[in-house]
Amino acid sequence: MQALLVFLSIAALSLLASSRALDAGRFPALARLAASGFLFLLVGVLLGPSMAGVLSTRNLEGMRPVMALGLGTAGVILGLNLEPRLLRLLPRPVYSAALAHAGTAFFFVAPALVAPLLLTSGRSLQAAVGAAALLGAAASLSSGHFAVLAYRSGRMDRARGLGIALLTMLDDAVGLGVLALALVLGAATNVGEGLGLVCLAVLLGVMCGALLAFLTHALKDLAELTTVTLGGVALVGGAAAYLRVSALLAGVACGATLALVGGRTVERVARALGRVERPVFLVLVFLVGCGLHARDWAAWALVPGFVGLRFLGKVLGGKLAQRLVGSALELPPRLGYALVAQGGLALCLVAEYGMLVPGGLSQRVLDVVVVGAVVNELLAGPAFRQVLEQGPTRATQPAPGVGVAT
Amino acid sequence: MKGAVIRLLLLVGLLAIISRAQVLRADAGTPVTLAAGALLLCGLFAGKVAKGLGLPRLTGYLLVGVAVGPYALGFIPNAGVKGLELVKGLAVSLIALVAGTELRLGLIRRVGTRVALLCASVCGVTFLVCFGATFALKPLLPFLSALSVPQALAVSALVSTVVVSFSPTVTIAIVQETSARGAFTEFLMALVIIGDLFVMVAFALAAGVTKASFGGGLDVTGLLGSVGWELFGSVGVGCVLAVVVLVYMRGVKQELPLFLVGLSFAAAEGGSRLHLSPLLVALAAGALIANLDEHAGERIHQAIQQAGLPVFALFFAAAGAGLKLDALVTVGPAAMLLVALRGLAIWFSCRRFAPADDPRLKQFLWMGLISQAGVTFGLAALVSRTFPSFGPQVEVLIVAMITAHELVGPVLTRRALAASGEIRTDEAAGTA
Repeated sequence: MQALLVFLSIAALSLLASSRALDAGRFPALARLAASGFLFLLVGVLLGPSMAGVLSTRNLEGMRPVMALGLGTAGVILGLNLEPRLLRLLPRPVYSAALAHAGTAFFFVAPALVAPLLLTSGRSLQAAVGAAALLGAAASLSSGHFAVLAYRSGRMDRARGLGIALLTMLDDAVGLGVLALALVLGAATNVGEGLGLVCLAVLLGVMCGALLAFLTHALKDLAELTTVTLGGVALVGGAAAYLRVSALLAGVACGATLALVGGRTVERVARALGRVERPVFLVLVFLVGCGLHARDWAAWALVPGFVGLRFLGKVLGGKLAQRLVGSALELPPRLGYALVAQGGLALCLVAEYGMLVPGGLSQRVLDVVVVGAVVNELLAGPAFRQVLEQGPTRATQPAPGVGVAT
Repeated sequence: MKGAVIRLLLLVGLLAIISRAQVLRADAGTPVTLAAGALLLCGLFAGKVAKGLGLPRLTGYLLVGVAVGPYALGFIPNAGVKGLELVKGLAVSLIALVAGTELRLGLIRRVGTRVALLCASVCGVTFLVCFGATFALKPLLPFLSALSVPQALAVSALVSTVVVSFSPTVTIAIVQETSARGAFTEFLMALVIIGDLFVMVAFALAAGVTKASFGGGLDVTGLLGSVGWELFGSVGVGCVLAVVVLVYMRGVKQELPLFLVGLSFAAAEGGSRLHLSPLLVALAAGALIANLDEHAGERIHQAIQQAGLPVFALFFAAAGAGLKLDALVTVGPAAMLLVALRGLAIWFSCRRFAPADDPRLKQFLWMGLISQAGVTFGLAALVSRTFPSFGPQVEVLIVAMITAHELVGPVLTRRALAASGEIRTDEAAGTA
């Protein structure tokens, strides 16, 4: 029954999001949230156990397989983007710039929130450091969807738009790296076992990726290719969930392996996954929203600190990134303002952390990041206008086929 | 086929590694997504292997499910297979939707009366034979032996209504594969579809009587009311769904497979919550769509073929994985006896009651009525859910019968169509 409820909620929201009721002229913030999928997050919060209670905690437990599938899918899509041939072509300053903006935000948020987490949770220092690191990882992530939409509509120079999208894509590596670190620290009784579990997730992903590359190698029929792709994604996410290791990391390893050894089928697999990307993402954010504890006042108290410190980190990190990148990449003057939008990967990180490190602290991390992501999404619109107002606009032809980086 | 065998073996190898790794972990997480992915992939490649061996793909789906499932190699945990119940409901709805699009008014007018008469005869004779045999086996069947005589009679009737059912899915798939066209093919398709309507009415009545026999009295008004609600309510809801589908197809015009999967899912889940028959809901929806807009019916057919492959592969592989092999040892001989008796009853009633104006019907029609698949699985699963005390054992018996029917049924259906002289080509790819 819970699956039907989720399905009906998503269907109703999809209709609402595509209807004229959400006219961007009349409700710009709501329309922006609907376009980014964060409206589904809010409705999840409203229907979840801590508010309306339409979906109970037990219902959410029953939806764990869907969550694992969503995280696995997100991981494989991220991994497929890590195409080694293209990554090798990027000059070193681009990596430095990505690390600068992500790292600055991380270091603005994580160390500052260790003490409040330690004081409000009463858990060990190691657990508080792991949780603060994850908050930092979520803060380090940015979404390039505003930039992509801006250059597609001709409001921003294409090179600059793609530059921002590239930086936001590369910061995913920072987020995933910190997730791995947080799981090493928090997912097992000792660090050695935690490291073993992260390695197991990566190994599982590599094996599934290699197998998926072999399975899809000679497939010509589109229906069969789609079936095998979906089956492969379910296999990697499901196996990780079954072994209680990270589905997201396993998915990334799977996608990266596939990108490395898949040859010509990679593009077809990516296209097949692209068809289910949006629905899976919407279901995932809806379920993440349902998991929020709205009455955790300590979490609410942490949100302003999280959002404010992240904003500062992004602004200063953006400046640093501009200095480091030099002429390797064309970027707008106020880069930091273009990096305020947080994107869906931050939600994936905290959802994964919550599944593998159960307890009050991981729940608090989820609460802070969920609310923070919505606030950041609302802030991102006005912030991005600052970027557009500062930079000269060289209108270009809309470029079809360029995906929105999250 | 060699490539498919290698891929299947590699998949099974990976599952073995995952299963071994789980043993080393103190606690296991949810196995449902793993079951879905593994059964989908194994099913797909096992279907290819089966096709290479000249068997229907469906047989491959079932057998690989049995092999990797909890009762054989044990690579997929039982909880994972049980978690796929939703997929079962979805698949039954999709099968019924596509079968419904074959129920055209012109076809019903042309052969309706003759088909209905023959169908009643075939179903009646088969039911009586299977009912007598099942009741006679009472001391040998574990789920009947402990029951009182009235309860055993009711359960025997319930089992027999399921045993009578045919397979529109397999028949439609074989007809598509062979591009068969003609009076014999039309008669066969109409008979399996109308036969399933008969079976559904009989099943609803038998389920009501069985419930009454376990609940200490027969509430005739309540029974008629529930049967009426299940039949007419299902048809009514199906008509509403048909209108929704037509509006969507005219207004949105994209992502039809995804929409149909979602709608079938809602029909399956919502239907069972409202005590409707998801099968009849989808069948009525399909029939109304095809009769209101023939082009829309064809589009649905094509769309379900696109979305159907993963759903059917997963459905049949999960059904195979759920097959309790230990119980099969006890009910296996009884299942084989019922298979033989059902085949004899169908053969006899076709020879005796088929219209004399077309001698092919008397000679070959019975071969097209042997297959059992989705509808029978759906009914067996319904028995299992509705009667938890004995239903799972009945499901085992029926799944054992289906396995046997799946091995021989599609081959016989093809032979019947070939013997009728209505096959145009056998080069098209099969979908069963």
